[in-house]
Amino acid sequence: MVLVVDGLHKRFGPVVALDGLSFEVAPGQVFGFLGANGAGKTTTMRIALGVLEADAGTVTWRGTESRRLPRSTFGYLPEERGLYPRMRVLDQLVFFAGLHGMPPDRARREALAWLRRFRAEDLAGRRAEQLSKGNQQKAQFIAAVLHEPAVLLMDEPFTGLDPVNVALLREAFLELRDRGRTVVFSTHQMEVAEALCEAVAIVDRGRVVAGGPLRDVRRSTGRRMVRISVAGDHRMPWLARVPGARVIQAGMDRTTVELEGGLEPEAVLAAAVGAGARVLHFEVADPSLEQVFIDRVGRPAEQELHLAPGLGDGS
Amino acid sequence: MSSGATVRNIWLVARREFAERTRSRAFVASTILLGALGVAVALIPLAVRLADRATVLGIAVSAAEPGLASAAAGTMGTVLNGQAGSGGTATFAFTVYGDAVAAASAVTDGRLVAAVRIARGADGGLVFNVFSVGALASDKAQLLQVGAFAVGVLDWTRANPGATRPFVAPSFSVADAGDAASGAAGGAAFDAADYASRRIVGIVLVVLSFLTLVFYGLWVASGVVAEKSSRVMELLISAATAGQLVAGKILGIGLAGLTQVGLVLVPALLALVTSGRIGDALLGPDSGAGASLGALSPGLLLGFVVYFVLGFALYASLYAAAGSLLSREEDLQTVALPLSIPAVAGYFPAVLALSGSNSPVIRVASYVPLWSPFVMMSRLAVGRVEAWELALSLGLLALTVPLVALFAIRVYRAGVVMYGQPPSPRVFWRAIRGG
Repeated sequence: MVLVVDGLHKRFGPVVALDGLSFEVAPGQVFGFLGANGAGKTTTMRIALGVLEADAGTVTWRGTESRRLPRSTFGYLPEERGLYPRMRVLDQLVFFAGLHGMPPDRARREALAWLRRFRAEDLAGRRAEQLSKGNQQKAQFIAAVLHEPAVLLMDEPFTGLDPVNVALLREAFLELRDRGRTVVFSTHQMEVAEALCEAVAIVDRGRVVAGGPLRDVRRSTGRRMVRISVAGDHRMPWLARVPGARVIQAGMDRTTVELEGGLEPEAVLAAAVGAGARVLHFEVADPSLEQVFIDRVGRPAEQELHLAPGLGDGS
Repeated sequence: MSSGATVRNIWLVARREFAERTRSRAFVASTILLGALGVAVALIPLAVRLADRATVLGIAVSAAEPGLASAAAGTMGTVLNGQAGSGGTATFAFTVYGDAVAAASAVTDGRLVAAVRIARGADGGLVFNVFSVGALASDKAQLLQVGAFAVGVLDWTRANPGATRPFVAPSFSVADAGDAASGAAGGAAFDAADYASRRIVGIVLVVLSFLTLVFYGLWVASGVVAEKSSRVMELLISAATAGQLVAGKILGIGLAGLTQVGLVLVPALLALVTSGRIGDALLGPDSGAGASLGALSPGLLLGFVVYFVLGFALYASLYAAAGSLLSREEDLQTVALPLSIPAVAGYFPAVLALSGSNSPVIRVASYVPLWSPFVMMSRLAVGRVEAWELALSLGLLALTVPLVALFAIRVYRAGVVMYGQPPSPRVFWRAIRGG
């Protein structure tokens, strides 16, 4: 493990933001940091960056405490996006890379290359205040990765992007991983995490309630599922006659059925065949991350959690 | 972080800040406006000289010898007012006083500019003693001496038609009570014109210090608030340390401020010199105009730059800390006034010091770091400072700057990540604790 977050505690006045939060990220991994707003994701990232000090606990990268490391070790995409409104995009990118020690010529070259791959070369000469929200986000993403940091901390990178840009950003994530970067990103969109992450930590009220490789986390609840799809009647009335089978997500295409107690998946398949249904698809599946999240946290991630009134982003 | 990276980041932040400020429309507009104002102020001495032509200087003449006073008044009036030109406007109005004490009190009251007391010396020559209280400019005193010479010549020809005794040029001396009172407080005494010039230079420097420290200090605060409200602060604080950001901002805005001061002062000084020449050509030479620049010595300019640099570092640190506690630019207006109170509190003793007062309150104020950039500046301008006082004042200021800067960086580090909270003592306290 290279990035180790160990026992972080942080209070803001009466509000406990972090309550012994711990997790570990392997090198070159894409790691999902999952939680509702106010769960403690931003606070954790700020402590890792050395912007905030923890009341207790440490964040270490390859054995060194993060605040003793040069700031260029980290690339940060803040949840609250912002650039200098009246400064040209390329100038800002060169400026921020310069603060991380990158020579201006190289920064300019790399910034233009990134803008090209985001199909946004025309942004270079525009002022930030003239950009759309999605384009600002692209510029900000480039500002975070331009100086080639070893660790990327990205706070809700996919929020507010259209599907085309989400796809571009996903590709960039995977490419950065392939270049050996460690990517930690927070999100409350479980399907994004499921698609990108090798490992995740689910955080609630300042503590990690489930964490580890994605598959382990999905299996951690002990629940088993099957996904089934049949021709004809999608309501599958015969399922009601299988004791211990419960439909948790009915769909026109696939229906997810949770298996309780000692019920084996084969029993569902047998019931379907017995009822004369024509089975098009049958799959033994782990619960989705969304289901694990609801199990562990007690509510969907999109539901806002107001932990810290008046502390807008003490999350 | 290595010191090389620290210097690099301070420089990068400062350069960006300098470029953004100097290219902004507000900068260009305010530079033009202040430049025009500076030139207008620089033209005041010329306007004063033009107005001065019509000014009548009332002067008392008294003498123990009967008839001498009225004869001298007549002679000097003819000689001096005749010289004033064909315009016919009298410059000097001589009044005969029988009583020298009454003449002196008329001068002290300000009703008259000077009192001339004429006596006869042992060698038979006349002795002119001119008494004034800071109101007789040196050029006018020189004219008076010319008049005295004429009186002396006439007196000699009248009293000694056979030239039995050789002509003795009248002795002429000026006693300025204004100098005597202030000169006693330390430092060398100087003549009235020099003193007036020092006051003008002092006023300019004090007003300039005050305006620049408060004005550019506000730039620092508003820059920090703008970075917070645009949320670019999140990126900044993850790329550079709070110390680098504060130092870079103060340096960049300080340099932009000095640039503006330079752009405003250079045309003003040029206007002052040119208008002096124009005045000389139109109105004849005037030693007063030369002296009004003469007081702006290189030493005083150096003092101004040193106090500006240290004072700005001090005030800008406080403004940076204050700005970091605000989330919206609208909030800045509510704290701008309280922020300027320390500067205003120092401005008043500075103006008092310009009048030549050297009371203990003013002396102490000139050692206090928040005020010394104004008060010591004005004391330096009027030239009544002991070396140890300057050392103490500068030493205290130099010592306070890093302490306040460290305090400000601490507040800033905590403040910049606090959002959505109105500026309150509680928020402030939490920021100081590093909350």
